[in-house]
Amino acid sequence: MNWLQNLPDYLVLGLTRGSMYALVALGYTLVYGVLQLINFAHSEVFMAGAFGSYLVVSQLAPGEHGFLGASMIVLAGLLTGAIVSALIAWTLELVAYKPLRQRGAPKLAFLISAIGMSFFLVQLFGKLFNRFSGNPFPENYLDKNAPVLELGGVTVTRIQVIIIVAALLTMILLDRIVNGTKLGRSIRAVAEDAPTAALMGINIDRTISRTFLIGGALAGVAGFLFGQAFGFGNTMGFDQGVKAFAAAVLGGIGNLRGAMMGGLLLGIVEAIVPPLPFIGIEWTDVVAFVVLVAILVFRPTGLLGEKLGRAA
Amino acid sequence: MTISVPETSKQLIDHDDVIYDIKNVTLRFGGVTSLNDVTMQMYRGEILAIIGPNGAGKTSLFNALTGVYHPQEGTISLAGRSGDSHAMVIGKKTHIINHMGVARTFQNIRLFPALTALENVRVAVETRQKSGPVSAMLGMPWQRKEDRESIDKGLELLRFVGLREKANELAGSLAYGEQRRLEIARALGTNPGVILLDEPAAGTNPSEKRELAELILQIRRERGVSVLLIEHDMKLVMSIADRLVVLNFGGKIAEGTPEEIQKDPVVIAAYLGTSAEEAAEELEALPELHTLALDDPDANIIIETPHVPAEEEKA
Amino acid sequence: MRNVPWYQNPTVKRLFGCLALGLVLSLMIGKQQGSRDDYYVGIKKALFGPSILGPRIILFLLVGVGVFFLITYWSRIKPYLGRPGIKPMAIGALGVVMGYVLLKWTDNSRAAADGKLGTLSDAASSTEGLSPIAQTFFTMPVPWILFLVSLIATLIAVILRNRVLGYAAAAICVVAGLWGYLAHGYVQSFLGTPDHSLGSAFQLLAYLTIAGGALVAARSHLEVADTKNFIRRAFAWRPGLFLAAIGSLVGLESLLQATWFSPQGRNATLVDMSALFAGSGLAPVSQQFLRWGAFVLLGAAILVGLVATLGLARKKLGWVAFGVGVVGALLTLLTLYLATGYAASEGFEGATGHWQNLGAGGWLAAMAFVMLAGAGWIVATLDAPVQVEKAERDLMSSDTVGGSVRHIPGMKYALLIAVIAVALFYPPTMTEYWQNVLVSQIGIFVLLAIGLNVVVGWAGLLDLGFIAFYAVGSYTTAWLVGSLPAKPPFTVSPLWAIPVAVIFALIAGVMLGAPTLRLRGDYLAIVTLGFGEIVRIVAVNAESITNSTRGPSPAVPHPAISIGPLQWEWGLNYLQYWYLLLVIMVLVIIGFRRLEDSRLGRAWAAIREDEVAAQATGVNTFRAKLFAFAIGASTSGIAGVFFASQVGYFNPQNFTLEYSILVVAYVVFGGMGSLPGAMAGAAVLTWLPEFLKEQVPAEDRQMWIGAVILLMMIFRPAGLIPATRRETELEGIDEAPRIEPRAVPESESMGATS
Repeated sequence: MNWLQNLPDYLVLGLTRGSMYALVALGYTLVYGVLQLINFAHSEVFMAGAFGSYLVVSQLAPGEHGFLGASMIVLAGLLTGAIVSALIAWTLELVAYKPLRQRGAPKLAFLISAIGMSFFLVQLFGKLFNRFSGNPFPENYLDKNAPVLELGGVTVTRIQVIIIVAALLTMILLDRIVNGTKLGRSIRAVAEDAPTAALMGINIDRTISRTFLIGGALAGVAGFLFGQAFGFGNTMGFDQGVKAFAAAVLGGIGNLRGAMMGGLLLGIVEAIVPPLPFIGIEWTDVVAFVVLVAILVFRPTGLLGEKLGRAA
Repeated sequence: MTISVPETSKQLIDHDDVIYDIKNVTLRFGGVTSLNDVTMQMYRGEILAIIGPNGAGKTSLFNALTGVYHPQEGTISLAGRSGDSHAMVIGKKTHIINHMGVARTFQNIRLFPALTALENVRVAVETRQKSGPVSAMLGMPWQRKEDRESIDKGLELLRFVGLREKANELAGSLAYGEQRRLEIARALGTNPGVILLDEPAAGTNPSEKRELAELILQIRRERGVSVLLIEHDMKLVMSIADRLVVLNFGGKIAEGTPEEIQKDPVVIAAYLGTSAEEAAEELEALPELHTLALDDPDANIIIETPHVPAEEEKA
Repeated sequence: MRNVPWYQNPTVKRLFGCLALGLVLSLMIGKQQGSRDDYYVGIKKALFGPSILGPRIILFLLVGVGVFFLITYWSRIKPYLGRPGIKPMAIGALGVVMGYVLLKWTDNSRAAADGKLGTLSDAASSTEGLSPIAQTFFTMPVPWILFLVSLIATLIAVILRNRVLGYAAAAICVVAGLWGYLAHGYVQSFLGTPDHSLGSAFQLLAYLTIAGGALVAARSHLEVADTKNFIRRAFAWRPGLFLAAIGSLVGLESLLQATWFSPQGRNATLVDMSALFAGSGLAPVSQQFLRWGAFVLLGAAILVGLVATLGLARKKLGWVAFGVGVVGALLTLLTLYLATGYAASEGFEGATGHWQNLGAGGWLAAMAFVMLAGAGWIVATLDAPVQVEKAERDLMSSDTVGGSVRHIPGMKYALLIAVIAVALFYPPTMTEYWQNVLVSQIGIFVLLAIGLNVVVGWAGLLDLGFIAFYAVGSYTTAWLVGSLPAKPPFTVSPLWAIPVAVIFALIAGVMLGAPTLRLRGDYLAIVTLGFGEIVRIVAVNAESITNSTRGPSPAVPHPAISIGPLQWEWGLNYLQYWYLLLVIMVLVIIGFRRLEDSRLGRAWAAIREDEVAAQATGVNTFRAKLFAFAIGASTSGIAGVFFASQVGYFNPQNFTLEYSILVVAYVVFGGMGSLPGAMAGAAVLTWLPEFLKEQVPAEDRQMWIGAVILLMMIFRPAGLIPATRRETELEGIDEAPRIEPRAVPESESMGATS
C-alpha cells in the first residue's frame, strides 16, 4: 500500500501541476469566451513568458540574497513573464486574428492562422535563444527544493508553495478584474452577446485585445513558474498547452471557474492515478485523456457548462 | 387583397382520419411553462392554422410536434401519411419524425445557403433514398438511377413553387420571398403527409402573400398534403384555413372555423389584453370594430404586441 | 475632426507597424545565432551581425519604411495597377528573380557548389572554350541587366499603352529568356553531366509571362481591358490552346536540349542517342524513331495541335493531333524501354537495365505527346458550339468589356490532362532525393489530406487525431506481415493488408465516432486529439504488441503482386512506389468526387450549413457524420499501409500530434471542402520545407512555413483553391449567370463579432 502512503505527496504534486494548468487554461477560456475559438498559439504565449522572465531573473539572480531579495526576484520573474506574455498575446491577436475577423474568415481559418503563428514563434524563439538541455534558470537564490512544510509525512517544497500561492493570488486578481471592473464587465458582455454589447457602446476590438492581454499575462505567470520548477525551452509550450486546453474543455470552455477547476482536477488526476500499482506512470497522458473523454461523453459541455458571462 | 377559395374544403377533409392526436401536452423549460395542457386534433386534408399573440407557444408546439422538444406530460400520436398507423412522437428524434411523414419550415428561414436551390431540395428528396456511400463511390447503376430521380423530383418541386429557372442559383442569393418558397419545396421533397409552415408569410409583400396563399391551397389540392400553419397575417389565415386553434400563454383558448374565431370574445381579449367579459361587452357595443381589426391585413402590426404584462393575465 | 493623441494617428501606427515588420524580418533572415546564455549576443548578431550587407537591422528597417510608403501612397499607385498587362509583368518579374536567386541552375557541384546562378556564373565566366553566347550571359551583371531592360521596356509599354513598344518589349523579353535558357544548355553540354535543375526553364517561363504582359499592353486598345479578361477571351474560343502551347514548349525542350540517355553520367541528347544506336541491333522501329521519327511526329503533333486549337478546321485536325500524339507517346515509351534494355544486354558502359540510365528527354517527349493528344481530343470532342466569329467580335468590341465570356470551355479538361501528363512523366526526370520526397512526403500527405477533407471539409467535423488512423493502418500492416511481437494467424503481402487495414481503421473511426459525435465542434476537437495521443502512447507502451519505440522488426517487406503470370515486386526504387501511390490516389479521388456529388455528400453539406434544418429535413445527421469519420479513417488507413510497406521501418514517433495538426493545416490552407484544394494545400506545404532546405538554415524552416500559413490565412482565408458548388447540368434551361462563390457560408464566418 505504497500508493496510499504517498497519496498526500501526490496530492500536493497534483495541486502544483494543476494550478499551472489552470493558469494556462484560463487564457484559453477567456479567448474562447469572447471569440468562440480555440487560441492554438496560446501555448507559445506561455513559452514566451518563460523566456521573458528568464532574461530578467538570470540577470538579477547571481550573488547573495536574503529572503526578501529572493522574493523580489521571484516577483520580478512573475511580472516580466506576465508582461512579455501579455505583449506576445496582444501581438498575436493583432497579427493572426484581427485581420481575419475583419475579413469575416471561416472559423477554421483562425485555427490555422494561430497554428502558423505558433510554428513561427517556436522557431523564432529557438533561433534567438538557442536550446540547451536541463534547467538553466538560476536556482541558488531560491534553493527551490528545500522543504518548507512537513505534515505527517507530506513534504511541501519551497517551489511548490510559490507555485500554489502565486497561482492562487493571480486567480483572485483575475476574479477581481472580471467581476469588479469596467473592463471585466465589458468582457462578460462581449462573451454573452457581442453584437448587443457593441450596440451598448462597448468597443469590441479593444475588449478583445485586452482579453488577450489578460489571458497572456496569466500564461506568462505560469510560464515563469513552470520554467523555474521544471526548466524551459522553445518547444515547452506544446504539451502544456494541450493539457491546459483539455483542462479548459473539461471544466466547460468559456467558463472561468470551470477552467480553474478543470486545471486542478486534471493535475490531481494525473498525479494520483498513474502511480496506482495496476496502471503505471507511463500511462499518465492516457489517463488524462480518458478522464477527459469520459467526462465529456457524460457531460457534453464540460463539468460546469459554458458561458463566460454567466458563471464567472 | 382578395383570395378566392375555389375548392370545397369539405370534400378534401376526412374527419375520420386523424393525423395528429395531441392530448394534454405540457412542455416546461425550467420554471417556464411553454405549453400548458394542450389538447387538439388535426384531420387529414385539413388546413389548420395556429394563431396567438407572440410568446403564446406556437413555435414551441411545432418543435414538440417535430421532436425538437420533448414535452414532459401528455401524448402526441401521429399518422403522417394516409394509411399509416398511429405512433407516438415524444421521445423520437427529429429525423425519425420527418421520416414518419412530417415536414416543416422555419420562422427564420433555415435553408442551406451555400447549396444551390436544386441541391437544397435534393437533400430532402434523397433522405428517402437507399443507396449508400460505397455504391456512390463505385457509381453503381441503381445509385445513378436514384441520382437521376432526385434531380427530376427536385426540378419538379422547384417548378411547383415557381423556382425552376433558379435551380442552379445559390439558396443564399435568392430573394426573401423565393427563399420562403424554396423552403416549402424542400419540405415537400421528403414526400410528407403533413407540412408544418411556421409564419410563411412573414416579411413578404402583398403580392407575394397572394401567391403564397395560392401555393398553400395547391399543396393540399394537388399533392394531397395537409397543412398546419402558424401565421400572424389574419387576412391570410382567415381566407385559407379550414379551422383555427388559438393559443395564449401556452394554453389553448379557442378552436373553430375562421368565422367563429373572429367573433370569439376570448380570442379578442387575448389579442387586446383585456379580460374576456370586457371584450364581450365591447363586442356587443361595437361589433364592427374588432372583427375589422382582425380582418385588416395590417392589423398584425397592432395585435402582435400583447399590452398586458404576463403576471396579470395569469392571475 | 476629433483630436487624437499622436500615437493613435493612423499614419504613425502604420509606420510603427512597418518598422516592427522590418525588425521581425531582420530577426527571421540569417543564421541561427547566439544561445540562451548569451541571448544578447544572439540578438546583437542577428541585428547588427557580421554580414556583407553591414548592419542588417538598418537594411530591414528601410524595407519597413519602403512598405510604409507603399501603403501610404497606395491610392496614387493603385490606378497604374489597373493597367492591362501589369499583373503578368509583376508575376513574371517575381518569377525571374526567383529563377535567378532561389532555383538551381546545375546539379554539377564541381561547377557550382550550391548550383545557383551566382556561383555558376563565377565558374562559367572564367571557363575557356565556352560558347560566346553562354560566356556573355554568365558574365555577372549581364542577366540582371537583361532583366532590368526587359522589365523597364515592358513597364513603359504598359504605362504608355503603346502598341509598337509593347511588341518590342515582348520581343526583348523573349530574347532575354531564350538567351539564358540557351546559355544554360551550352553550359550543360559543356559539362556533360545529367541535369535536373529548373532555374533556366523557370526564368524562361517567367520572361514569357512578362512578354505576355507586354502583348496585353500592345493589344489593349480598349480603355479598361484587364489581363484576366484578355486571357479569358483569348482562350475562350480556343479550347485546348493552353494545353497545346505547353505541350509544344515541353516538346521543343525535349527535342533540342534535354538529355535522353545518360549511362555513367554521359549526356546524350536525342541526336547523340540516335548516333549511339545507329546500325546496332536495336529494333528498327526504335532506331528509325530515334533518327527521324521523334522529330517528325513531335513536329507534326505540334503543328497540327496548334493549328487545330487556334481554331482552323477544328474537329478533323483535332482527331489527327490526337492520333499523332497517342502514337508518338507509345513509340517514345517503347523506344525508351527497348533502347535501355538493349544497351544493358549489349554491355554499354554503365547501362544497367530496362528504364535505367534515362535522362529527362524521353519523358518530356512523352509528356508533350500526351498533352498535344489531349489538346486534339478536347478540340475534337468539345460540344459547345464555339462561334469563332462572335468571340472575335467580342474581343474587338468595347461594349462587352467585363466579359460575356465568363468561363473557358474545356479548360477543366485541359488542366486535368496537363496534371495527369505531369504526374505520369515528370517524376522520372527528378533526382532520387526529390523522388523520395515526392513519395514519402508529398504523396502520402496528399492522400491523408484527401481523407481528412471528408471529415473536416465536407462534414465540418474538426478532427485533431486523424493521424491515429494512419497509425492503425501502419501497425495493422506490420502485424499482418508478422513484423510485430504479436503474431497474426497468417501472414500476407503488404498489399493484401489494405482491406484488413481499411476495416481496422474503419472500426477505430466508428469506435471513436459513436460516443463522441454528439459533441459540438471544439469538444470533438479535443476528444479526437486525445484519441490520437492515446493511440500513440499505446504504441509506445504496449511493448509486447508493438515493440515500443523500436518499431516493427524485421522491417515490413516491400509490397508485391503475384497473380498467376503477373509477378511484380516493389523494391527500393521510389518511382515504382510513386506509380502505386498514383493508382491508389486516382481511385480514391474518383470515388470521392462521386461521393461529394451523391446523397451523402449533399447531406454532409447540409449538416455543415445548418444541422437543425438538416435534421428537420430528415437527414440522419449522426449516421452521416459517422460515415464521414469512417470514410476518412479508412483513407488514412490506406495511407498507413502504403507508408509502412514503403519505409519498412517506422516507430511511434511517426504518429505524433504534430502530424494531425499539420494535416488539418494542409486541408484548410488548400481550401476547406475542396478536393483539389486539399491536395494542393498538402502538396505545397510538404514541398515547401524541402524547397526551403536549400534556401534557409534547416532550423528556420518551421518559422518560414508558419509565416507562409499565417499570410495565406490573412490574405486568402478561404484557402488556395476555395470550394465551389458544382452546378447540375440541366437540359433546356436558360443559362443562368454563373456563380462560383465560396462554399463557406457567411453565417459561419466571424464577421458578426467585429
